[in-house]
Amino acid sequence: MPLEPFKSAEALTMGVELELQLVNPADFDLSASASDMLHLLGRGRFPGDVKPEMTESMIEVSTDVHVRHAALLAQLEQMRDALVAAGDRLNVALCGGGTHPFQRWFHQRIFARPRFHELSTLYGYLAKQFTVFGQHVHIGCGSADEALFLLHALNRYLPHFIALSASSPFFQGVDTLFDSARLNSVFAFPLSGRAPFLLKWEDFERDYFAKMEKTGVVKSMKDFYWDIRPKPEYGTIELRVCDTPLTVARAAALACYLQALCRMLLECADAPPAEDDYLVYNYNRFQACRFGLDGTLVHPKSNEPLSLREDILATLRRLEPHAAALESRAALEEIYRVAAGEGNHAGFLRRQHAEEGGIEGVVDAAVRCFREEVRT
Amino acid sequence: MTETLMGVLGQIAWPLALAVAWLAGEFGHRWLALPRISSYGIAGFAMAASQGGFLPDPAGGPVALLADVAFSLILFELGYRINLGWLRANPWLLVTGIAEAYLTFYVVFLIAQALFVPLLPALLLSALAMSTSPAAVIRVVNESRSSGQVTERTLHLSAFNCVLALVAFKAVVGYGVLFSAGSIFQAVWSSLVVVLVSAGLGALFGAVVPGLLRFLGGLARNATVVFALAVLLLTALTDALNFSPLLAALAFGVVARQRRVVLSQVQRNFGALGDLLTVLLFVFVGATLDWRQAFTGVQLACAVVLGRMLVKTLATTLFARLSGVTWRKGMLTGLAMTPLSAFAILLLEQTRYLKLDLLDEVAGVMAVILLLEVLGPLMTRWALVWAGETQRREEA
Repeated sequence: MPLEPFKSAEALTMGVELELQLVNPADFDLSASASDMLHLLGRGRFPGDVKPEMTESMIEVSTDVHVRHAALLAQLEQMRDALVAAGDRLNVALCGGGTHPFQRWFHQRIFARPRFHELSTLYGYLAKQFTVFGQHVHIGCGSADEALFLLHALNRYLPHFIALSASSPFFQGVDTLFDSARLNSVFAFPLSGRAPFLLKWEDFERDYFAKMEKTGVVKSMKDFYWDIRPKPEYGTIELRVCDTPLTVARAAALACYLQALCRMLLECADAPPAEDDYLVYNYNRFQACRFGLDGTLVHPKSNEPLSLREDILATLRRLEPHAAALESRAALEEIYRVAAGEGNHAGFLRRQHAEEGGIEGVVDAAVRCFREEVRT
Repeated sequence: MTETLMGVLGQIAWPLALAVAWLAGEFGHRWLALPRISSYGIAGFAMAASQGGFLPDPAGGPVALLADVAFSLILFELGYRINLGWLRANPWLLVTGIAEAYLTFYVVFLIAQALFVPLLPALLLSALAMSTSPAAVIRVVNESRSSGQVTERTLHLSAFNCVLALVAFKAVVGYGVLFSAGSIFQAVWSSLVVVLVSAGLGALFGAVVPGLLRFLGGLARNATVVFALAVLLLTALTDALNFSPLLAALAFGVVARQRRVVLSQVQRNFGALGDLLTVLLFVFVGATLDWRQAFTGVQLACAVVLGRMLVKTLATTLFARLSGVTWRKGMLTGLAMTPLSAFAILLLEQTRYLKLDLLDEVAGVMAVILLLEVLGPLMTRWALVWAGETQRREEA
């Protein structure tokens, strides 16, 4: 199957996908309830899109295409309310968070769909270990070349999104000491990581995709698990490094941070991206996963060390005019609060663990957060 | 020589029976894909003295108390999985529960009357038939690691109908006492007071023990042992006072759950202790049955088992869509609620002190229990498999 043509979208539109955890409120373990939830949600009008994911204990929801923060947040809240109501009828709790703190991957049940079973056979335990939960943000691009430019121009900002969204400190029952343990699971896949440095869509198609397809390793863009990947059928780039935050408000804020950042980059505010930027890419990515906002980055152009937190705060100042133009000030204020004071959701979950004394209490807190019964 | 041998055999009868039953469970599971508890029951039945085996009738002895403890642990665990908030959020589930329990009572009563069972035993049989044995359900659920709506609903509805059955049973007993002894005091005591005090004691434990755990700290390490000890104490206490250990344990679980101190994964079934006691429980249940009694009531038994299954399935199917699942899952929930044995036997066992002996007259009861001993867990298993809620083998 050749690469499909890149469909042009309205620039700087955005859409959000959230992978959510389905939890049994009795023991707080994952609950294999996706089919039941989908059945019930399918009977009413769901304010968005909802579909199954790899295992029976996760569900994926996605918003329509949005231009403004307020509308995006409103839809996310409606979707959240519909999900919570359906969950209440079925005794299923929902929550965000990049990992479930203590589920055992070998207990997960693969959702009954041919593609999922194929993947499960191919990747074996990796597929089940992939019971991790991410937020994907799509940004519309006017052209394919613009998409590739944005994809690479964003490389230096990628750690921001990892650190801001990180909500997976616990995995398989222990504190991993990472803020985002989820990305370690993603990294195990052979086609994960960064996209090749090609800035023209025809080059990408001819010199990379066609060759890769000929090797038989991939069939479509779906087979790449890159941190950011182009999505030709939507005309978007898709940022995939975020953990699913504990609240939909945080999810909307992260999407708008990306939107504003793209607007700034399209005005060529930074020096153009280069292959050498990627020399420090994996190191910076690790710093963000491991230390969250306390990480230290190496600037890809100047090679000077930067505090991740300071870098986000500096970026927020540069984004002010763009936020004003995009009417997303409220979103960036939330990002500011995270970076300047209250910290990410990984920190919140660790505090809950310390206070509650049990790993189940962490899930309980995440569930209540999703329902907005507690503030993070 | 023979005498010595018989003496030794008499002393090791129970441990030996447990070992044999456990082996039967493992082999039955591997070769015939039988739920383990079905095999335990069959083994217990086969080894009982009434079938010519070496196990003496355990009724009224210390083994009966151990079986009570085993069952109480299971009921506690069930109670701990009950989410009362769910019934508020989904009232149709409550309706389903009430409908299936009382319709079962009514239909079984009609069947018993049609087959000339006297009034009082017919009422007791109908009350027993309302319940779904939580022991079978929770063991099968844990054994197959199932999760989903059929699983959750079966657990909740069975906890629910056990309480309803127990109340109905005690009410009938009260009526029976009034009838035979003519004492209102004794009648009220053996029904209303027993129900209220048992539930109250359980609730008291449910309030105090989690508080104690919080005070002690280090929850993950201590919770299982503390809960097991509390269940043991509660069972012994209620048993000594001739209250209902079953109701007390269930109430303990439900209230403890609302206080939110979470049992962690490894403690399902109360670990190896729970596994061992489950073998004992089902061997005990099997050993109380007598094939001669069972055989004579086979006609009544078949009618009751079939009628009960139909009514339960009908009720859960009828309210399936209203309560948010497919017709199919509704129907499977009804099928999964087939088991009965352990709950019924222990309930009968605990009224022995009243010397009513009403049910011994009704041969059919034993046959119902024997039939469901094997059939019940199997139906639960099949229902969960058909619903796609168990771990598929190739992935296990």
